Amino acid sequence: MRDGILGKKRIPLTVRNTSSLVIDSLGDQEGEENMAVAAFYCDFLSQQEQTVNNIVGAILKQLVGRGEIPQGLRETFEKAKKVVGGRGPLLADLMGMLRTAIASLPRVFICIDALDECLPKCLPELLQSLKDIVQQSPSTRILLTGRPHVKEDIERSFAKMVVIPISPSPDDIRNYVEMRLDRDPEPLAMTDDLRADIVRIILEKISDMCVEPFRISTPLVMYTYQRFRVDSSLFHST
Amino acid sequence: MAQTSYSTNVGDGNKYSGNIIDKVSVSVSNTFNTADDAQILYWLSPLEPRNRHQDVRTNRSEGVGDWLLETGEFREWRGGEGGADMAVLFCSGNPGVGKTYLR
Repeated sequence: MRDGILGKKRIPLTVRNTSSLVIDSLGDQEGEENMAVAAFYCDFLSQQEQTVNNIVGAILKQLVGRGEIPQGLRETFEKAKKVVGGRGPLLADLMGMLRTAIASLPRVFICIDALDECLPKCLPELLQSLKDIVQQSPSTRILLTGRPHVKEDIERSFAKMVVIPISPSPDDIRNYVEMRLDRDPEPLAMTDDLRADIVRIILEKISDMCVEPFRISTPLVMYTYQRFRVDSSLFHST
Repeated sequence: MAQTSYSTNVGDGNKYSGNIIDKVSVSVSNTFNTADDAQILYWLSPLEPRNRHQDVRTNRSEGVGDWLLETGEFREWRGGEGGADMAVLFCSGNPGVGKTYLR
């Protein structure tokens, strides 16, 4: 089953909540398997603060923040503090400390959500940093989520990767369309036949992936279609 | 007592993201006592992704996505046998439902 029930609301798995699902599922086993999970959520609205340094620093602090602060980190901090005005950590420092932290842990999972929302100029450097981590610690696992187009960026750093497309199932789509139809502001214009046709046609068109020429002059249907512009890679993936 | 102040300028958008706490200024005492752990962690990064995680997870319901965790691809990635060549799992999709779905 691709969907679940929360009260009366059925919430499908979307790419927006995939990383939180994986993080929680890994987190459940964190204690027993002696592994560590670090997560980061990229966000269009916070791009200015989400520099590569801040992202790598946020990952590092989740790995070191669970126990004693390593002496090396304390020393690096004390040194930076002495510079006039203080200075933030350099990426090279962060990467060195991250390498040490990862080496001290049996298994590390790094999850970065919505990679396509990362500032475009930061993305290559972030991916390169992740590549460096994997090269130094090949057992590190990295989960990335994002819109399909970001795959090309990832491929520049990682020639091989596992890809799982996340898309609403036909049941998810049917539930959603029916929910929208229930809220139609003009219920008198609706008949059972029309309703059945709308649901059927949307499902057909989406599964045929002939969605671009799909035009029906009902604003609601167009709206629903916009909501479910599905990822073509799901149907064409090999 | 000399003090070094690390502060970050937080844009308006952050109140929605949860990735960062509100405008924060951490004062680091430059005297003999060593900096406390919170100051060091803040210096590493002012961002707090765990806060965002708490927000996002409330948008998920029980059992959703179990199919993903059961796929061979996921298990293989999680198991880690593939080494560096299989280090990256990419879950791709167009966010079309998510929060909108809940309204």
